[in-house]
Amino acid sequence: MKRGRRWYAVSAGITVVALAIVLWVLLLLAKDGLAGWHWSRLTRFPRELRSGGGIAPELVNTVSMVMLAECFSAPVGMAVAVWLTDYAPPAAWVGWLKRVLIGFQSIPAIVVGLIVYQTLVDGLGWPLSVGSGTIALAVLNLPAVAVLGATVLSEVPGRLREGSLALGATRIQTVWRLMLPAALPALIDQLGYSWARLAGETAALIFTAGINVGPRWGWFQPGETLAVHFWYVRTEGAMPDWRMVAAATGLVLVTITAGAVLGAKLWAARILAKRGVGVSERG
Amino acid sequence: MAAITMERVSVWYGRVKALNDVSLEVEPGSVLALIGPSGCGKSTLLRVLNRLVERTPAARVAGRVLIDGHDILAPDVDLALLRRRVGMIFQRPVSFPFSIFDNVAYGPRLHGMKNPHQLRRVVEGSLKQAALWDEVRGKLRRPAHGLSGGQQQRLALARALAVNPEAILMDEPTSSLDPGSAARIEELVVHLKGQYTVLIVTHNLQQAARVSDFTGFLDRGQLIELGETSQIFTAPRDRRTEAYLTGQFE
Repeated sequence: MKRGRRWYAVSAGITVVALAIVLWVLLLLAKDGLAGWHWSRLTRFPRELRSGGGIAPELVNTVSMVMLAECFSAPVGMAVAVWLTDYAPPAAWVGWLKRVLIGFQSIPAIVVGLIVYQTLVDGLGWPLSVGSGTIALAVLNLPAVAVLGATVLSEVPGRLREGSLALGATRIQTVWRLMLPAALPALIDQLGYSWARLAGETAALIFTAGINVGPRWGWFQPGETLAVHFWYVRTEGAMPDWRMVAAATGLVLVTITAGAVLGAKLWAARILAKRGVGVSERG
Repeated sequence: MAAITMERVSVWYGRVKALNDVSLEVEPGSVLALIGPSGCGKSTLLRVLNRLVERTPAARVAGRVLIDGHDILAPDVDLALLRRRVGMIFQRPVSFPFSIFDNVAYGPRLHGMKNPHQLRRVVEGSLKQAALWDEVRGKLRRPAHGLSGGQQQRLALARALAVNPEAILMDEPTSSLDPGSAARIEELVVHLKGQYTVLIVTHNLQQAARVSDFTGFLDRGQLIELGETSQIFTAPRDRRTEAYLTGQFE
């Protein structure tokens, strides 16, 4: 066999194995989750000791907390990203700042959770709640938005920026009217991944949002999410159908995260198609 | 139309001197071609005139540059206003990732034009001036990226014209285009003569001879010679100019 073929076979083999592992996990979830599936699980409250519990509050908490966390962290993170790419002086300390931001992303989420716990719950007396959990997610998301946003913005060709400045645009006008619109498809794509990452977060939420749900949604109501519920039911669930409830929760979580990622991709692709990029990027 | 005067202008990039004591005058409404070997400072000279040169880290400019008698290097100069008066098109055509209409309307919108009828008039007028109107009428909502390279360069020209500049800087505007598209840009330059002061940097000597009233030859940051184009090409005064024009250079 030729050398190139052998490496092709090796890399293809590794890919197949990796995909098989992911598929296996999904199949396990589907097997248990779909076994006693009923759509009413989406609208019912969870049951602690009896079977047939639902995940309605967890679903609402997940969607609302992730959405609110993005609302807090995306604008602030993008402001940092714009400053890093278009305003920061070409100095050494700016390079270090970027490295620190990248480093922040590798801080374990549980540490972020504990810091938020100490500040909000211990310090300000907030309950374990939707609010505390949302703030924890926002803090967790902030450096990621800043770093990814800066990467996306710096991929907008510099000659576009110069073209705008040469027309008499100020820097801030160039950011608002050219850079952000030009980067929009890539930013939307990243928003999908960011949404998925936050929806799957557990460690930062156990200490901040808690492992309970309230009778109604509220900023200071307990804020258990789907991912936390999955973890809780798998490890400590006392309901007879715990295996099924956990798997169903996992399936719903996988579905909404995949939906977010795919939806973002489609949205971004639509914008690109409208702009004619990829159709014929000539000259 | 703007009269441009440079008095003893020098530019440094860090310790490298890119432009050395250049003095020149450009008559309003005329076309000045700048020729010279790569790295001689032609583009730097253009970028001094709209002060894009300052975007290069560690760039420093000395001397005086007057446009219609105003010192544009003064610290209190409104850069946005200066760049509105001195338009620029680049070597590779720059199309923003928007529709053809929004590309041309970008400048007028920046400067506060909101009325759709007014915008439409400006866009149509600018596209006609750039000789692109007949090819894109009825397709103004289509993406600019769908145009050919030559069309995109004319679109860039239309976008520059839409803010009503007095001078236009062209940095090798045809070097990335095929001969046919290049010829159309040349026609446009000749056409714009008299209405705008044009400075065009080019590596194509025939092009300089065809489109310009005056030609300046730069070498290693120095303006060696500047004169009427016919004189430069037929009877250069400096030995180095002659050597460059006859291909005996480097």
